[in-house]
Amino acid sequence: MTPPINAVVAALHRAAPGSRVMTSPAQLAGYDADALGYKAFPPDLVVIPHNADELAAVVRVLHDAGLPICLRGAGTSLAGGPVAAQGGAIIHTSRLRGIRKINIPGMWCEVECGVTLNSLDETLQPTGLHYPPDPSSGPVCTIGGNVASNAGGAHCFRYGVTGNYVLGVEVVMLDGTLRRFGGPSGGRGSWREDWKRLMVGSEGTLGAFTRFWLRLTPRPEKAWTFRATFPNLPSTERAIHGLVRSPSYPVAIEMMDPASVAMVERSPMAVGLPQDHFLLVVEIDGPAALVDARVQQLASILREAGSNDVQFSDDPVVRAGLFKARKAQGGLLGQVSPDFLVQDAVIPKRALAEVLALVYEEAEKAGLPAVTVMHAGDGNLHPNFLFDSRRPGDIEKVEAISACLMERVVAVGGTLSGEHGIGNDKAGYVGLIFGPDSMRMQKAVPQVFDRASQFNPLKIFPERRFAA
Amino acid sequence: MKVMPLDYERLFEPFIDEVDGVLCVPSDATAADVTRLAEPLGLRFPLWLDSSQSLRANISAGDYAPASSRFGPFCDNITGMNWELPDGRVVRVGERVVKSTAGYDLLRFLLGSGESFGRAKDYVLRLRPLCDRDGSFFLTGENGALEQAISRILHGPYLHWFDSVDWLAIQGCVPQLRVTVHCPSAEWKAFADYLSGCAAQHSLNIREEPGSKIGGDGLPDLALKTTPDGVIPLCRELASQNELRCVGLCYTGVVHAYCEEVSGAASKVREIVTRTASRLESNGGDWISRHLTRPIFGEEEDCWVRGLAAEWEAVA
Repeated sequence: MTPPINAVVAALHRAAPGSRVMTSPAQLAGYDADALGYKAFPPDLVVIPHNADELAAVVRVLHDAGLPICLRGAGTSLAGGPVAAQGGAIIHTSRLRGIRKINIPGMWCEVECGVTLNSLDETLQPTGLHYPPDPSSGPVCTIGGNVASNAGGAHCFRYGVTGNYVLGVEVVMLDGTLRRFGGPSGGRGSWREDWKRLMVGSEGTLGAFTRFWLRLTPRPEKAWTFRATFPNLPSTERAIHGLVRSPSYPVAIEMMDPASVAMVERSPMAVGLPQDHFLLVVEIDGPAALVDARVQQLASILREAGSNDVQFSDDPVVRAGLFKARKAQGGLLGQVSPDFLVQDAVIPKRALAEVLALVYEEAEKAGLPAVTVMHAGDGNLHPNFLFDSRRPGDIEKVEAISACLMERVVAVGGTLSGEHGIGNDKAGYVGLIFGPDSMRMQKAVPQVFDRASQFNPLKIFPERRFAA
Repeated sequence: MKVMPLDYERLFEPFIDEVDGVLCVPSDATAADVTRLAEPLGLRFPLWLDSSQSLRANISAGDYAPASSRFGPFCDNITGMNWELPDGRVVRVGERVVKSTAGYDLLRFLLGSGESFGRAKDYVLRLRPLCDRDGSFFLTGENGALEQAISRILHGPYLHWFDSVDWLAIQGCVPQLRVTVHCPSAEWKAFADYLSGCAAQHSLNIREEPGSKIGGDGLPDLALKTTPDGVIPLCRELASQNELRCVGLCYTGVVHAYCEEVSGAASKVREIVTRTASRLESNGGDWISRHLTRPIFGEEEDCWVRGLAAEWEAVA
């Protein structure tokens, strides 16, 4: 039987005296949703541990108390990851924000889980080294959340996603013990198996991350940004297909559909783009001698595909302007609509027209606007459905569209998520991608580390419910 | 909203998609098989330790190949596979798209597990654009100068664009730095100029071998994982103390060690592992050898391994 919350609070104060424990409704209000926002999952309490040892002590207390345990960084997840879907406790890792070591000769760094992406980047800047994953929530999102969801970003077409840079993780297991998988060298450590591979992208269901060892690369010497508009989808697709196969090796290929462009153009962030056109923003980076020589080749691919408006620059200010519409898009969603639901499908690039047609058709049928952006190099499509959760029927409509979209995505050879994770938002769809045997293999993983599903229940698999 | 769950395994069928740059081939395919399918479409699979051996043999012999400097380990260049469980049933693991964070990453876990939990039947490979020029540059000279040149290259803007940056060490021979390049012909001069500049600055000799292919070092007898700055000391130690030929993959922190004689390789590997393993593992490194199985690390790992095996065997 679960002890009363005040008894748990007292135990937390005893075991982790430096930690902050919050239980009042006003304090908990900020923790009942992530950036998806339209569904509330109020926790029973929130703990902010002072350091990794206290985090471990907190996990021990919560484990003994029989409360669901949910880890949370900045709460920028778009999949319902860091929410208390079954109530219980949220452990907020915001105070574990030390950048403990930057090893320049070894090209790695050691960071605590609450370090934000941008603060790491700022710290690395003088060293000439670089940590490439760049989800758009970079100014606030934490490395812990990035590792939990295996976050990506615009530049991962060339540089890869978070998991490609994780050399090691330190994890508090359910019994409160600290375990290290990998380390600065990025191997298995003493273990026979490479357990860190299961930890990355595990969405807080296997343990509580405390710190990471991350691989670093040299910062690019120079970059060029290109912006091109296209009158229709076939010409946009031609450009994407040309770019991904080009030895010019773009690092980012970002697409916005006309609805997305129009949304920006109707806002104070307008940059003067035609509202009925598709937009591609492309970047190349590398040594000056290489990238300067690739500029005309890349511009030719865009023009030959059908763009009459190709602009490009290596000037940092102009480059920021060329990328502005794409960067503004995410922030505007929350301003133009009370709620939005963003999907994170990855599709074979040949299927773009078919999937986009379905997005438009279903959105129109439901009477809901849809604006779509895409990490086009990877085929990672983000249709955003705009709705109002207070309006009766809207939630059911977006969920019906999502189900229909996910079925089509899988049917064309794609998958449910490229960089957001499954969370509880997409947990209902995992049955589309895992057959009976592979589903059992998937479900065996949390069973091994947390048989009772106490860590982040109801995530990834809807049946993963904690029974105290 | 719930959807109807699958009642069958979505196994991969052989295919190639030139737009996504992915190719599904049996695990016993060799470089020649892959090249035959990929090259006509302007694509290549760059990761080979020994291009005459099967993909599965390459992947089992080490997590990294020379071109991992540019493209990452094998597991970052395989997007999916058909996996045969010990009882013969085959399941799909991973996807045919190049990016996925749906469920636990069994793909990378199993790829690194040897044959602990079964074996790959087919791989979906991520291919890369094929260029019309490749070759290697060899830098030689005084040891300290060579090390300084490596450090400069590892921290320089060209690192991302070299297929590999390798330290070659053989007992009694002068060590060499091998830098492999795969690029359009028009860009060759930029690479050559950069490396010539490095050589001149550090008073090193430079030799160019156009057209030489990576993947010719062979399957290592032992692969050791350390940090990038640990590669050269480890190569030196193995070359001098154990008289091994070593290829150090400088950016990925991997040392591939080769015994010149097959007989005695297992005992030599055991001796090296006994001497180096705890040092490497304490820093998160490891070792892999086709001559020696890695042991389970204590009761806790034994419990996890048995737990997974039991659940996976119970799939039927």
